[in-house]
Amino acid sequence: MNRVSGALDRLGRAVLENVEEMGKILLLFISVLAWMFRPPLKLRNIFKQMEFVGVKSIFVVVLTGTFTGMVMALQGYHGFRMFSAESLVGGTVALGMTRELGPVLTSLMVTARAGSAMAAELGTMRVTEQIDALYVMAANPVKHLIVPRVIAGVLMAPMLTVVSDFVGILGGYFVGVHILGINSGIFIKNITRLVELNDIYNGLVKAACFGLILSLIGCYKGFNTRGGAEGVGRATTEAVVLASITILISDYFLTAIMF
Amino acid sequence: MFSLSSEAKVGLFVLAGLIILGYMSFQVGKQTLGLKRGYTLDVVFENAAGLDKDASVQIAGVEVGRVESISLKEGKALVRLRITPGVKLEHDAIAAVKTHGILGEKYVELHPGTRGAAFLGPGEQISRTERQTDIDRMLNQLSLIAEDVRGVTSSLNRVLAGKDGEEAISSILTNTRDLTRNLNNVIVSNEAALRAALENTRELTGNLNRVVTQNDEKVGQVMDSLKAASSAMEKTFATLNEITGGVNRGEGTLGKLVKDSATADKLNKTLASLQEVTEKINEGRGSIGKLINDDETVRNLNEGLTGLNRYVNKAEQFRTFLSYRGEYLFDKSDAKSFLELRIQPKEDKFYILGVVSDPRGRWTTKDITTGGVTTRTEEWDRDGLLFNAQIAKRYRDVVLRGGLLESTGGVGVDYLALNDKLKLSFEAFGFGNDRRAHLKAGAEYQIFKHIYLSAGWDDFVSDQDNRSIYGGFSIRFEDDDLKYLLTTTPIPR
Repeated sequence: MNRVSGALDRLGRAVLENVEEMGKILLLFISVLAWMFRPPLKLRNIFKQMEFVGVKSIFVVVLTGTFTGMVMALQGYHGFRMFSAESLVGGTVALGMTRELGPVLTSLMVTARAGSAMAAELGTMRVTEQIDALYVMAANPVKHLIVPRVIAGVLMAPMLTVVSDFVGILGGYFVGVHILGINSGIFIKNITRLVELNDIYNGLVKAACFGLILSLIGCYKGFNTRGGAEGVGRATTEAVVLASITILISDYFLTAIMF
Repeated sequence: MFSLSSEAKVGLFVLAGLIILGYMSFQVGKQTLGLKRGYTLDVVFENAAGLDKDASVQIAGVEVGRVESISLKEGKALVRLRITPGVKLEHDAIAAVKTHGILGEKYVELHPGTRGAAFLGPGEQISRTERQTDIDRMLNQLSLIAEDVRGVTSSLNRVLAGKDGEEAISSILTNTRDLTRNLNNVIVSNEAALRAALENTRELTGNLNRVVTQNDEKVGQVMDSLKAASSAMEKTFATLNEITGGVNRGEGTLGKLVKDSATADKLNKTLASLQEVTEKINEGRGSIGKLINDDETVRNLNEGLTGLNRYVNKAEQFRTFLSYRGEYLFDKSDAKSFLELRIQPKEDKFYILGVVSDPRGRWTTKDITTGGVTTRTEEWDRDGLLFNAQIAKRYRDVVLRGGLLESTGGVGVDYLALNDKLKLSFEAFGFGNDRRAHLKAGAEYQIFKHIYLSAGWDDFVSDQDNRSIYGGFSIRFEDDDLKYLLTTTPIPR
């Protein structure tokens, strides 16, 4: 009887913790919104975060984007060859990149690079009581630490996605035209025929949402770190895992709403 | 060292991202942006199955717009097209839903209509639509066609399969081959003749042409006179018309004849007596009647015809040969000639009639009475001709003949060998009591169709030093004209 009640106790506690966490993230989001438009804006801080999240992620994003486009071209070619429709490879690569792979892969890479860094940074500040020091100095840590990071995430993810889309299509073009021998004119013609403006813009909206999710979760995990150096490590891991899962799940719902 | 601030780096990155975004948007949205300023046209299709929003609208394969919306209107599909601004469509434009290939996507094809007609304004409707080629209907038709084809092939199979068919085809092919070969032979062998015929034709037409051109004037005259003749004829007809009119009215002799009832009575009577006569004949009365109605007459006639028939058949069997034979007598350095007619009513029986000119002449006996004393002189008359008249009968390869040989009684035997090409013959005649008989042995060989060579020993037991080796030739051929001449003169009974 004791063991059963103990199991139930643990189950209930886990559910409550998760729900509580979701509520806390939402509350953090609301307070970020509240502090965001309250002057001073501290632009320098924001730019610093944007450089960290955006500019320094370019290399990783270009690399993943290019190879994703190339492998899509390769796989799509083998499929379409069965119907003698090789020329559709270009359109397929472009559609896949702009709608799904560009935003999702970019966001996952940024999560791994920047989201984890946010959690580690804020977690260290929490365990070394720097955040408490900010409270003492009457400086709101949300305003000073979280708002710049969230703004950077929301703005930089779409920018990186644009880059990813572009290099992904370039990679597909390279493989399709120069390696598989598809006619270049028809390749590009099919891209412009199949891809519409909405595909690109909805992809960017998605990327902005993902940017918000990854920065918010990273900041939340770091901000609520407990338990010394070990806690910092755990917070980092949890941040990356939770952000990645949330991005992939929300991607489905965003796609269902938008397309 | 040149280093960028974080702001500059971010600014550069954002700028680059925006440029890329702008470029991609421009590339993709080029057409759509242009189209938004275009105008709309409505068209009602019976069936717009497979047609999607944003499907292409084309004129002659060039995209001029997109399908903006598809909705239902009174059980039909109302399709709203957005057309690019520069494109104008006339009022009698035709719209049709078409497919790229068999599996391709659907699009709307427009035919602009007659040039110069008024243009369709924004929001107006294209009234004329073309029925689309439905894949299902096409497949249906195709299956019907396939059914027909299968019927044809199966019946062909029935005809051609098996040995009979094969044989028939092979014999057809063989015949065709032979036919073409024969044709070829005919053409090749008659090439010259054909060419000559064509040449002649050309010459003929050339001559005709020349004649016509030379006689152009004359032809014209002929035409003129024809015209004159026809006008004269017209007059003649008019006169004739007058005459018949007169006859009809009972004028003149003829008119009276026609119109007079007495004449008609006479004619009637004549016809009646004629009828009587024919009736009598029919009943077998009178000599003509007997002749016609008697069975014996018919039988006689029949027999006569049969005889005639037999005679004609005989005449057909009849063969006549005409031959000339020359023999050079070496010991006397002179020639002996034979002209013979051989009549062969049956294959194994023939008659030979002939004249012989012998250099020695004919042995004549003359009684000259001078003053009551009769002196008999016997001498060779050099101008005298000798005659042959023999009956011959053939038994297999041996021919026995007898009769008059060189104007004396005699017999002969021939032996035929090598398909009748070689003839060995022996003749004996001239059994006069004061001379030894005339014996002759020889051989004759056919070298060509009508030419024979002969050699032998003539009169080899002569007591008057008349013996001689001879050699010669003869010509012999069948003569049909002579046959008919012979058979038409006497009638054999």
